[in-house]
Amino acid sequence: MDRRITLLLLLLLAATVTIGAGAQGPIPSARDGFRAKRVPHQPGFRVFIVPDMEGMGSAVDSREVLAGNEGAAYRDRSSPDYWDRFRLLLTKEVNATIRGARIAGARSFVVNEGHGGNLFANVLPWDLDSAAILVRGFPKPLLMITGLDSTFGTVMFTGAHANAGSPGVMAHNFAFDAFTVNGRTLNEVGINALIAGEMGVSVSMVSGDDVLVEETKQMLGNGVIGVVVKRAVGRSAAITYSPAHVRQLLQVAAAEAVRRELRGDFKPFTLERPYRIELTMRRSYADSVVTAVAGLQEFKLERVGDRTFRLVTNSAREMGYLLDAIEDVVLR
Amino acid sequence: MVALAIAPWILAAQDRPATPPVQAAPRDTTPPAAYFGVTEYQLARQKLELDMQRGGFTVYIIADMEGLAAAVRNATEMRPENRGGTPQHQRFRQELTDEVNALIAGARSAGATQFIVNEGHGGTLFRNVLPELLDSAAILIRGYPKPIVMSTGINPMVDAMMIVGAHANAGSPGVIAHNFAFDSFTVNGHVLNEAGIAAFIGGEMGVPMALAAGDDALTAETREMLGPIETVTVKTVFSRAAAAGLSPAVVHRLLRVGAARAVRRVKAGELKPLTFAKPYQVRFCLRRSYDDWVRATVGGLNGVRADGGPGCYAYTTESAELVGNLLNEVEWTVLKP
Repeated sequence: MDRRITLLLLLLLAATVTIGAGAQGPIPSARDGFRAKRVPHQPGFRVFIVPDMEGMGSAVDSREVLAGNEGAAYRDRSSPDYWDRFRLLLTKEVNATIRGARIAGARSFVVNEGHGGNLFANVLPWDLDSAAILVRGFPKPLLMITGLDSTFGTVMFTGAHANAGSPGVMAHNFAFDAFTVNGRTLNEVGINALIAGEMGVSVSMVSGDDVLVEETKQMLGNGVIGVVVKRAVGRSAAITYSPAHVRQLLQVAAAEAVRRELRGDFKPFTLERPYRIELTMRRSYADSVVTAVAGLQEFKLERVGDRTFRLVTNSAREMGYLLDAIEDVVLR
Repeated sequence: MVALAIAPWILAAQDRPATPPVQAAPRDTTPPAAYFGVTEYQLARQKLELDMQRGGFTVYIIADMEGLAAAVRNATEMRPENRGGTPQHQRFRQELTDEVNALIAGARSAGATQFIVNEGHGGTLFRNVLPELLDSAAILIRGYPKPIVMSTGINPMVDAMMIVGAHANAGSPGVIAHNFAFDSFTVNGHVLNEAGIAAFIGGEMGVPMALAAGDDALTAETREMLGPIETVTVKTVFSRAAAAGLSPAVVHRLLRVGAARAVRRVKAGELKPLTFAKPYQVRFCLRRSYDDWVRATVGGLNGVRADGGPGCYAYTTESAELVGNLLNEVEWTVLKP
């Protein structure tokens, strides 16, 4: 899609959302101000990187990706002796991705923490490639895709994990047992690809275990480059490779991704509007969580089942805002 | 493997605390709630085969911890802090990684080209080797639960198995001696320790166990079970929690030399796979210290039948891999994440 048309659409959508919010009640929250913000502009080809942790090389257990401070439910699901080590591995994976992209000509890098462990603050800022802008912390307007706009050339997901119910390592999908748009099942990469697609930005690379790579390729259907950094042999066990080898794979794949993106090989991921979004909250959550989600005033959520909600919207961005709001309920 | 049920009184007898001992929390006796999905064992094997090159010489290394150089005490050295251990465990993770790297270096010098490392110590849920410090040529299988526990993915493309940090059998006079969750385990009447069980599963694939490293009790009993394989004795046992150990630096040198010799001997056809007549008659007794619900759960597993006393069972099968699968089920019963 032409960038200008995209921009125009976005402005229109933003106006719709604002008016919609106005109709709910005249509360101009700080949120609206944050949602309008952009990361500083940089010249050259821009790469947006979303590092998650479950799909990193070597990681197999929740204790390796949680800090233990994410809320009561996670208090005993952590082990700092493990999590600390994996923060450094995570940072090095991102650096390898940046290195590869740079070799192929990319000049601007925004890294948006995609992992809720330690409330979206896992990358080590002092060890991250100094060219990168790092979006960290929580809550943030579009959660895993916060900071993306139409000036970016491509999106890459590293350390991504398979969908809830898939036989992948630490497989899950935000706070959901199921998430569909227009009847199509989306994993976390798919959901964020849709938001990016609406901005005219395509996903060029995704890394994770073999299950994640397979399902994401099918979901996006745009020839996205998949990097298998481990093979799942259980929900918490995998065949893994040397972190040095994984970084090499990521570097080569990121370079290839930028080259092919510059040739226009990847189509942005789009679905027909209006989006009919259906989400089912995880069975393991307390009823109070479901009640709190039902009570989210900003969104016109329709409850269509015990734990299932429907949202019909013309804006994938609104879907992103909803994810942030739900995550806020869950991690509170 | 994990030493799960060292009875508190044994530890109490070994420790002489200056302060009155803290009342230990009562043992968790509830069965595990949800099964953590495990990939079906044959699919897991296929996945590993995808990563293997044909040709060359492949070594499959099982990395346990009790038989590491200098290791003597389960409570402080074998467990991480979040499972009731101490920070000392981190130093032994490093030692484990060093010993595995020594095996790889030695095997490589004798012409081995591919290395698969499978985590074999459950005290940390099979996450002990330090991935960033392991020889970068190696594939590392880690996490819990995983199919066939200590022999995940073993297949006929492997040329030799080795076990490092191994410990003596349950009832043997070794450091932290035990055998999975069993007081005894036999196949066709042959007593097997953990190294022997791995050799049995590998043996069906035509893969010989070529080297075992651990204390003197482990190396002696394993040679008895498997014949004159390469062994590296890293310490001489003085009690269940005491030993006279060689310097880790010396142990690393012995492991390099031993691994090189093991590869040469396999190439020369001197070391044969361990094989038994089919069907395999497996008999085992669970540790007496386990609660009734453990016996009830294991006794209810598919194909397991009661045999000679409480906690003792028999299992008949044509497939050693299925025995490995059974081990995973038993582990899952007694070892909670």
